[in-house]
Amino acid sequence: MNFEVMQKAWQSQDPGAKVTLDINVLLREVRHNQRHFQATIFWRDVREVGAAALMAVGFLVWGRLWHWWSLYLLAFACFEVGAFFVIDRRLQRRKRPVHNDSLQDCIEASLFQINHQIWLLKNVFWWYLLPPIIGIGAVLAQTLWTARGAGPAAMIAMGAVFIITYGVTYGFVYWLNQRAVRKQLDPRRQELEALLASLT
Amino acid sequence: MQTQAMTAQEQETLFRRWLKEHLGLMLKVVRGCATAPQDQDDLFQDILLQIWSSIPSFRGEAKETTWIYRVAFNTALAWQRGERRRREKHEIFLRLDTPPQVQLSHVDSLPEQEIVERLYAAIRQLPKVDASLALMHLDGLSYQEMAEVLGISVNYIGVKLNRIRKQLADELKGAADEL
Repeated sequence: MNFEVMQKAWQSQDPGAKVTLDINVLLREVRHNQRHFQATIFWRDVREVGAAALMAVGFLVWGRLWHWWSLYLLAFACFEVGAFFVIDRRLQRRKRPVHNDSLQDCIEASLFQINHQIWLLKNVFWWYLLPPIIGIGAVLAQTLWTARGAGPAAMIAMGAVFIITYGVTYGFVYWLNQRAVRKQLDPRRQELEALLASLT
Repeated sequence: MQTQAMTAQEQETLFRRWLKEHLGLMLKVVRGCATAPQDQDDLFQDILLQIWSSIPSFRGEAKETTWIYRVAFNTALAWQRGERRRREKHEIFLRLDTPPQVQLSHVDSLPEQEIVERLYAAIRQLPKVDASLALMHLDGLSYQEMAEVLGISVNYIGVKLNRIRKQLADELKGAADEL
């Protein structure tokens, strides 16, 4: 079949004729969806940054009440994680894909974003897990120092419970992040790279 | 050409006009990229949402069709079938997919309709970028317009279209024999 026949048939179709569209309901939905999307993004940021800020304030207050310097360190670690979220989001916001860009520009922007996400998750230990670990280590050290009168066996047991609990929790968080890279982000990156390759 | 920030009323007016004038274009992209009615409805809403959001940055420098194609294809590329729906439950404002054989009232129109349906099926088999090109080519866009939508050179468009035309012809060869 030659292309002109296909094109003629194609251009003779009227897809709009098969559509029942209530434009007022549609407009309402589009506006609603846009608000919902913006609210989702906003609350995600509030959740991540808010949790870090809340914990930072909590540890500060706790540290002040108990006069424990190690809790100040933990508060600072939480603050650092929250600050990292805010700065990273602000920097990345400028590089978001814009849907009215050309396909190539949009794919490149998406690829940049995915690569950044992969970088974040692969390095989650350094910016997300390590700062609290330092704070938690300090809290552990101060706890053990305070409880030194209980004897070496109690101190070892306490230390072991602390380390195992945090070790398992942190290990799980790290594993979840690496799994997200393998299962979701890497395939998406490969897909985008293939798309880009098909354009160039 | 618009130089000032667009008011909400202007945004709505332009959106309504685009829907009226370019609905066919949007639906072709939807049908070329998604098969199941639920997926088509989902993708169509995503495209409308992106078009609505893009309107304030429309300055009239690009042709309206070029702009809409860009938004629609970029949305279709980012859209993934089966991904958890981002949106809340929504009101149904669109009925898209009625089997073509039910719609046909004249036997004379069957061959062309059949070709169109097979073209959609063939386009959905193509890699995404090729599918985008096929849709625009069938709609009669110039090489220059296609290059603007995709952001690649006119020469490369020519090379790709030769291959796509052949692929579509091969896919529809069976259809032609049956017809």
